[in-house]
Amino acid sequence: MLDGWDDEQLLTALGEAMRARQAVPDSFVDMGKSAYAWHNIDAELAQLTYDSSREPAVGLRSETASIRALTFTSAHLSLELEVTEGSLLGQVIPPQAGTLEIQTRAGTTTSTPVDEIGCFAVEPIPASPFRLRCRTADGADVLTGWITL
Amino acid sequence: MRDDPSVVALVARAAGSDQDAWDQLVERYAPLVWTICTRYRLSSHDIEDVGQNVWLLLVEQLGKLREPAALPGWLATTTSRECLRVVTASQRMATRLDDAPEFVDDVVIDEEILRAERDGALRAAFAELSLPCHQLLAMLFSDPPHTYTQISATLGIRMGSIGPQRARCLERLRRSDTLIALGTGEFEINTPGGGPGA
Repeated sequence: MLDGWDDEQLLTALGEAMRARQAVPDSFVDMGKSAYAWHNIDAELAQLTYDSSREPAVGLRSETASIRALTFTSAHLSLELEVTEGSLLGQVIPPQAGTLEIQTRAGTTTSTPVDEIGCFAVEPIPASPFRLRCRTADGADVLTGWITL
Repeated sequence: MRDDPSVVALVARAAGSDQDAWDQLVERYAPLVWTICTRYRLSSHDIEDVGQNVWLLLVEQLGKLREPAALPGWLATTTSRECLRVVTASQRMATRLDDAPEFVDDVVIDEEILRAERDGALRAAFAELSLPCHQLLAMLFSDPPHTYTQISATLGIRMGSIGPQRARCLERLRRSDTLIALGTGEFEINTPGGGPGA
């Protein structure tokens, strides 16, 4: 396709290509690079399927609407999260015991148990953004996308 | 470009455990992901959300891509799908601008894919050039371009040498494997400088 391009056209195309890259914030590119940390990790990715902050609060009392609820869904299980003042409460659906890992962008990892009915509590609320990895006794291993509260 | 050996090789290396190959893929195609997000006029927060998911999905798919050379197409489709997910969610909240598009046409997406392939190959080819070529071409393709007088003063090249050096650097660019691979593609693309997107 470059056949027939003269030097001037090639130079213009090169300039456009370099500017297309410069238009992208470095932070966006760095985020993409750091995603590689998840390579060869045998976890299934859970997608954000519900976020109360993206839903209209019409008809809800303000105190109800102020609780942020999130749902992450993968093929094998869902994580339902509720943000309250000071803590993050959640349940694994279908209910099962396991371990929940909380990972921050800064690279720190903490973990908390998931009880027999799938419930867990994370206190205090981790610094945003963070992500959760849930490993259950039944062998499921699920990783959420980054969560910003 | 469908058989761009450098993309196929980068995907293969990244599917192993080569962070450097992965970084190169991200460098090359981040503008494609970014541009499609901006076509949907997403907020910067939503763009980050979409980007994060797209790269994570790609990390998961690295060893499973049936056609590694078609990676730009895969990225564009995945980004578009993720954008639509965000658009649908924000429409329920009625926070979207009235004139923001609900749907970006496949034709536009296809153009962005071709453009990303071309731009990515040009940047990769440029990266292989020597430092003097980098400096000279950067001053020439800047917008607005520098004059020969400015170039001569900045780089310490005699005025009479700029033209021949420019030609040599561009010839090296043309001969890079990446651009030769691009040249074997059969798709049509507008020459730069023309068309509304240029």
